[in-house]
Amino acid sequence: MPPNPEKLLEDHAGKQVLLLGNEAIARGVIEAGISVVTTYPGTPASEIGDTISRLAAKAEIYMEYSVNEKVAVEVAAGAAVCGIRALTAMKHVGLNVAADAVMTLAYIGVRGGYVIVTAGDPECYSSQNEQDNRLYALLSNLPCLEPSNPQECKDMVKYAVQISEKLELPVLLRTVTRVNHTRGPVVYGSIEKPRLEGEFLRDVRRFVAVPHHARPMHVRLLQKVEMAKEISENSPYNRVVYRASDSRIGIISSSAAYNYAVEAADFLGLDASFLKIGMSHPFPEKKVTEFLKEHEKVIVVEELEPYLEMQVKALALDYVPEVKIYGKMRKQYFPRASEFSTRIVAEGLAKITGIQLPIDFNKIDERFNEVSQILMRRPPVLCAGCPHRASFYVLKKATKSKALFPTDIGCYALGIAPPLSVGDLLICMGASVGTAGGVSRATGVDTVAIIGDSTFFHAGIPALVNAVYNNHKFTLAVVDNLTTAMTGHQPHPGIGKTGTGELGKRVLIEKVAQGCGVQFVKVVNPFNVEESIKMVKEALEIPGPSVIVFRAPCALLLVREKRRKGERLEPCKISEACTNCMACIKVLGCPALIVREGTVIIDETLCTGCSLCAQICPYQAIELPEKGGNK
Amino acid sequence: MNIFNLLLAGVGGQGILLAAEVLGTAALSEGLNVRVSEIHGAAQRGGAVVSNIRIGERALAPTITEGTADMILGLEPLETLRNLKFASDKTLVIMSSEIIIPTGVYLKASEVPIPTLETILEKIRLFTGNVITVKASDLARKAGNILTRNIVLIGISAATGKLPMKTETLKRVIEELVPARYLEVNLKAFELGYDYVKSMR
Repeated sequence: MPPNPEKLLEDHAGKQVLLLGNEAIARGVIEAGISVVTTYPGTPASEIGDTISRLAAKAEIYMEYSVNEKVAVEVAAGAAVCGIRALTAMKHVGLNVAADAVMTLAYIGVRGGYVIVTAGDPECYSSQNEQDNRLYALLSNLPCLEPSNPQECKDMVKYAVQISEKLELPVLLRTVTRVNHTRGPVVYGSIEKPRLEGEFLRDVRRFVAVPHHARPMHVRLLQKVEMAKEISENSPYNRVVYRASDSRIGIISSSAAYNYAVEAADFLGLDASFLKIGMSHPFPEKKVTEFLKEHEKVIVVEELEPYLEMQVKALALDYVPEVKIYGKMRKQYFPRASEFSTRIVAEGLAKITGIQLPIDFNKIDERFNEVSQILMRRPPVLCAGCPHRASFYVLKKATKSKALFPTDIGCYALGIAPPLSVGDLLICMGASVGTAGGVSRATGVDTVAIIGDSTFFHAGIPALVNAVYNNHKFTLAVVDNLTTAMTGHQPHPGIGKTGTGELGKRVLIEKVAQGCGVQFVKVVNPFNVEESIKMVKEALEIPGPSVIVFRAPCALLLVREKRRKGERLEPCKISEACTNCMACIKVLGCPALIVREGTVIIDETLCTGCSLCAQICPYQAIELPEKGGNK
Repeated sequence: MNIFNLLLAGVGGQGILLAAEVLGTAALSEGLNVRVSEIHGAAQRGGAVVSNIRIGERALAPTITEGTADMILGLEPLETLRNLKFASDKTLVIMSSEIIIPTGVYLKASEVPIPTLETILEKIRLFTGNVITVKASDLARKAGNILTRNIVLIGISAATGKLPMKTETLKRVIEELVPARYLEVNLKAFELGYDYVKSMR
């Protein structure tokens, strides 16, 4: 987040600034005259919505954090069919949630330019899978753009709006972590004033996808794909960026992989022509066929699925059977899982061309192996003072660690790490609630589903209704830290504040649960350990579904709030009664509890005075701060 | 293909992302092409954090290739160690010497023992002999805030004369990016880091 996001509003075409890919997309929104932005936060896309939320009022943009990606697409689509320019941002798996809306929106189309940003995560830096969303372009028939750097992120938003209005189709802008989260120079363009008021022109044949209308809609969509092909053939983003001195080797690449490919060729001293694909759907068949004809060998460099390669091979089969194509389909010159690096691409290119690598990476690996023997892992952990730690301690204690814990997407997934080790099954947003029904029916074992506040609203509610209706027996623990913590503290319906900071209506989780028909619904502060344990035991006795909302604010927000007010967070203190039994560390794993020269001490820069360790110390050797702690 | 490769390594909460932004912005404001990569999410949760800064006309990739880092700024010794595969015998390592032990280590008796600073330096020397160590939090505390360790290291890197950016530019960018009420301590931290190298000579 730039300290001063307002620099993104400067109408200063030609100015060059250093921007994160996501900030560049936000600048693209401003330049393109987009006036509706919807999102559900998800790494690596989160900073797009966060940046817009801070600029929305000044830029005359309506921005909202929607309850989930499907709703985000629907709200934006509603505006776009009325002629307003709109953008929706989400992480790759968000498009699975939104897919139902997107697939048929492709039939209906839009009138105002509409861009759907879908941010992939090769290497699963912060995701449950690394699916390649370019395949959604094939599935939906929507045009797809793939930026490689922040400059293209910005420019392609504008370009996507143009294409979208020309074709009256939504356009996918598909990024990856290394594009969203890379900073690079961006030259500003001019700002177009947004259109703020739309109009709905009733046309049931166009906008109402009943079967009778949907059949011709499909035909019309396929016609649009033909028009889109022409755009792709002539797109400035599909071009030969470099011509080698001879015709032996050509490289086709897109997205982040393109950057590695160029540097890997430099690294090897490989003189190859480069065809950069920025608009990968529809595939620029003529341009690619020409490139195939011009070269003896063509190497396709792309992360994840062989999406370009499949299409290149299909073209070669029909038009250029003599060209040799290298990629990852039969012989795997490049891996299909995880992200690329210059090294990975260079090793693949070296294998194909027979050029010797200028650095002996194996030697580096060998030497590094010697180093890594003394290295311990340092995974992210629940923060000091995190209320989830208290909730997990309570759940373990109340169930004597014998329950099964389907869990969900958020910080609280970190609960799987020892010593808490709470979390047994994790699929996707909201799945804790649905899977808990199946797990408890299949095993008869006490089952506690764990879900966060934002995730509950996103996808937990239908599964909870299902549990009531079909009488599944489990306890749903909503770990409510009053924010969407993992993605950078965005608001949600349970807070009563909108994405642009205005007061909205607060939707209480306990009221929702009651409204869904759950009979046993309780709210508790998890730092009240004894009371919470009693409550969980009681809930597990219920013959159907029960809900406990563990409510306490995210420790990071608490610390930030105190700092803002200039107040100090008083830490807990260890008294002389401490026997160094290490129970606090071994049971809670709080990063503020550390050992120095064999003695347990509290790191005062981290401790928030939450009181949890004081409550569980067998020797009552931990003292609360004077004011009674900050729980 | 003259690219300057700088790797920042540390633990979430040490200010890696701000340090990277300072270095990247300074490079760009001198008209240099730059790429800065970051991984979000783990940054505030005590996990290992790395940022790559690449400066030069042909710098396109967000990450550094193994064996090609010109400089490694390590805010923590174990995290410096974790990124040694990016070093060669030409790499300059500037490292804060205070080890932060991962919480998980206390839980398992069988875990590898916590290495001493001497062992860590020995391993670093397998890759490169150019190492500057500093107790960054001492200097940061002297500047007025322990959280300025990141800026202390930038001060040191500037004083070595190996960065492609001018010292004045770095200072100006710090003024631009750091909120006003923290500016004085940050500039002080920069100075203390800068003088630390001068005093070594």
